[in-house]
Amino acid sequence: MRQGLWRRIWEHRHFYAFISPFFLIFAVFGLYPLLFSLYLSFVQWDGLTEIKWVGLANFQNMLHDELFFTSLWNTLVIGLLYIPPMFVGAFLFALALNAGWIKLRGMFRAAFFMPVITPMVVVAIVFSLIYSQEGGLLNYVLGGVGEVFPSLKIKPIAWLTSDTWFKPALAILLVWRWTGYNMVLMLAGLQGISTEYYEAARIDGAGLFQRMWHITLPLMRPVFVFCAIMSLIGTVYMFDEVFVLTQGGLGGPGVSGINFGLYLFNTSFADFKFGYASSMAYTMAFLVFLASLLILRLRKTEN
Amino acid sequence: MARYKHRKRILAHLPLAGMACLFGFPFYWLFISAFKDKSQIFKLPPEFLPHPWMFENFVRVFQETQIVRAFFNSVVIAGGHVALALFLCSLAGYAFAKFPRAPGRDKLFAFVLATMMIPVAVMLIPTFVVLCKLHAVNTYWAMIVPTAANAFGIFWMRQYAAQNIHNDLIDAARIDGCTEFQIYRRIVVPVLKPAMAALGIVLVINIWNNLMWAFIVLRTESMYTLPLVIYLLHGENRTPFELIMAASVIATFPLIIAFLIFQKNFIQGITAGAIKG
Amino acid sequence: MFSGMERSFTLPLVLVLLPGLCTASFGDALVLEPPTPPDQLEADIEVWSWNIAAASLKNLIPMFNEVYPRVNVRVNQNGTNMQSRFLLSLAAGVGAPDVMQLQVRETPRYSMTGRLTDITEIAEKYEDDFPPSFWRDVTHEGRVYGIPWDIGPGGVFYKRSLFEKYGVDPLGIETWDDYIEVGKKILEQSGGETKMLCIPHGMMVDLFEPLLQQLGGQIFDKEGRLAVYSPESLKLLDLFRKMLEAGIGANINSFTHEHLASLQSKSIATYPCGAWFGGSIRDYAENTAGDWGVFRLPAFEPGGLRTTNFGGSSLVVPDQCENKEAAWRFIEFALCTVKAQIEQFRAFDLYPAFLPAHEHPFFDEPEPFFGGQKTRRQFSLDVLEIPVMYRSPNLMEAERYINQTFSRWVGGGMRDTEKMLAEMEKSMSRRLGCGISPDSLSRRGGQ
Repeated sequence: MRQGLWRRIWEHRHFYAFISPFFLIFAVFGLYPLLFSLYLSFVQWDGLTEIKWVGLANFQNMLHDELFFTSLWNTLVIGLLYIPPMFVGAFLFALALNAGWIKLRGMFRAAFFMPVITPMVVVAIVFSLIYSQEGGLLNYVLGGVGEVFPSLKIKPIAWLTSDTWFKPALAILLVWRWTGYNMVLMLAGLQGISTEYYEAARIDGAGLFQRMWHITLPLMRPVFVFCAIMSLIGTVYMFDEVFVLTQGGLGGPGVSGINFGLYLFNTSFADFKFGYASSMAYTMAFLVFLASLLILRLRKTEN
Repeated sequence: MARYKHRKRILAHLPLAGMACLFGFPFYWLFISAFKDKSQIFKLPPEFLPHPWMFENFVRVFQETQIVRAFFNSVVIAGGHVALALFLCSLAGYAFAKFPRAPGRDKLFAFVLATMMIPVAVMLIPTFVVLCKLHAVNTYWAMIVPTAANAFGIFWMRQYAAQNIHNDLIDAARIDGCTEFQIYRRIVVPVLKPAMAALGIVLVINIWNNLMWAFIVLRTESMYTLPLVIYLLHGENRTPFELIMAASVIATFPLIIAFLIFQKNFIQGITAGAIKG
Repeated sequence: MFSGMERSFTLPLVLVLLPGLCTASFGDALVLEPPTPPDQLEADIEVWSWNIAAASLKNLIPMFNEVYPRVNVRVNQNGTNMQSRFLLSLAAGVGAPDVMQLQVRETPRYSMTGRLTDITEIAEKYEDDFPPSFWRDVTHEGRVYGIPWDIGPGGVFYKRSLFEKYGVDPLGIETWDDYIEVGKKILEQSGGETKMLCIPHGMMVDLFEPLLQQLGGQIFDKEGRLAVYSPESLKLLDLFRKMLEAGIGANINSFTHEHLASLQSKSIATYPCGAWFGGSIRDYAENTAGDWGVFRLPAFEPGGLRTTNFGGSSLVVPDQCENKEAAWRFIEFALCTVKAQIEQFRAFDLYPAFLPAHEHPFFDEPEPFFGGQKTRRQFSLDVLEIPVMYRSPNLMEAERYINQTFSRWVGGGMRDTEKMLAEMEKSMSRRLGCGISPDSLSRRGGQ
């Protein structure tokens, strides 16, 4: 048996040769940090003093950590607020840009992709302007609407400082930032659908809606699954955007602005609790892993 | 009939253009703020055009920061990183795709993918410690190497290779007596070009805009990258926002231009098979 | 998920790296006997600080080199959020600078790690040259680890044109009650357009901590136990409640777009803050020069203390430093000589912590930006009286927690203040792992 295994490995030696550069770097910069941080989840360490083994204490504390659960809840709500509009928007834009008769497609694609390239410091300044309570751009527009429809009784909204409106403000920012990215992926998916299917359907007399339902959506499923998993991972660990809107986690409205990514970051680099941060990270990684498996299963059953 | 359709089509461009404006607005704001006087940047109601146009913001950026050096550093790091990552991921991705009976292949691949679930923040310190031991802190390598072995990248390359490289070609080459590496170089790489363009763009954006890691490993001004220089303009209580905006313009436009040029390859790279598998 | 194999090879790896990561023993105190003569001292030192401060230090280098010609100083500009970078260097034992700037209220947290050089022997002669509250911040258990650099003595910046318009005499505002009355008057007469100050609901610590210090209250006691549930805190929160109920506080976070824009508009009349805020006003609202003035911080009781501290920084020497004498000489030059302190004040608006500098005539110059007022002298009044505030290493996390709790308190109508403080203390005690002080009202049976 053993001999057979070694022989097979030798037979495929090129495989191992080709993957070894990757794995070498991966082992040093991917695997080792991973294992070390896994180790850290069982210790208490502030980076400067001794490492203290505490076993499962971090995990136990996590169960009683009110702020941890609040951050998870916030993350969930934020995800539910921004992911559906983003998906719908990305899909619609992709459909639009896929239609042959739209001019200047390249410019539109670039315009929608811009938010992905924008540096966070610019995002911070611009959205601080948009969301200012008095005289901010969004409230300015709302004020205009309020004048046209006085019965709606529109007041300036405290986007970034009120408990109710912070998450929608963040959601709007996220939709702005990530729609283009998903749009490009979906566009690629659409372009991969052979036009023969549509031709055949049209000949059979299928209407626009039916073509969408029976051809486009099913064939886009792999793309949707991919985007879903990427969005899931991105949402759970999202940091930059929340950091920027809450001025470093300090200025958000109470606790409603703290999502998991921010909480993780603060626990590590503001409170210097590296052990605890690791334990939370691994717990969430495990949950994300399970969720991804679930999403993938959806894809498998249909195929 | 044709005219009606024609008009409808023109009209359809409008909402699209409107959305494009919304999406592009922050860029417009960045651009005009870069030319504004300090006291004009934060005004409510906001001013939509600078008056006068302060070109001297840009002059000051060149005088007061090391932005030229930072630009050079960013280019070197981005180039090195992308080249290394593309090499590693294409080589390994092709191997994972086209050597189906190598023992342990699937498990190894699944393991790599699973690591995508761990957030970066948690791995910062251990990675930093490794760099210290290697005496590589404050070098280009510190930025180029650590994320080059990219789980996302290897996934991408494997998908593309699996869909688009025909086994017959490879078998034929083997029969002709090519070494495995020659096969890689002459057959695989050309086929993978669009995927490399796609992956390349994603990698470039990430490494060019990367702040956190740069902040941690780059220590001296001569090594700083563009986002770092911009970030460090912030002070405790007083920040020259007009300089930050001007510097951000300098830092961002290369990305925009790169994207505009490589768009088509980018889309192509994603289209031809990466997702369908 | 992880097999036994991985676990067993992690441990040896970790053990190999641990020694580099964990030495908490305190280094020996730095002693310079005999001190090297200035023209013979030779070294290359690296300094980390943030933007204005970095520029200021760079500016001092030629002056420094006149006395110490062979010490090369390189100033590296960092952002203010350099904790991660500094921390990693301290943790890894490599990569820290020779001289490091820290926010003065964070200094205790780093002092207690044992990774900073103990400079007691050479620095304690300067103890009397600095205000006691600041000197406390750079010491730990009686040993000195840094020197205070700049401070932010409190005052209230106001817009002259608005005060004139509503007939307010700033000299008539002596207590916080006076202040609130004026605020109400302005609010009414301006039809609700002009509020007296900014009170950000989600970042109240920015105002709470300095004013608590003014009252002599504490967040932590000397031993690092929680003492925030106190008569002083209750008094202060009562003040905030009065202000918010009177409607004179605008819910605007500091240094946001709105806040900076308000400097040029009529929406906010005053800004209680530290001396450095003048620099911010100059940066973002240059066109309002001449329209500003500063009056002394209102006291809580008639005749009470009319100043406190809003921030400041210090310089420390990490233990890793190989050129400790040179590093110390630079710090000594920049922070303990009148010449250098005045230069930094003049060129970069860094208010000196060094008391002998306060004698300099520069403090008595009238300032056109403030309508000819001599604000520098005014800020220096009673600086010695500012009460000491104990800064535990847990302060940063505590501040975040306080912000969150107060935000909820404001949102809930500012009721049940005692209960809120008591519960906050309890959960903070759990989170931070520190006890509750016997001085706290929780221990004394509430109020």
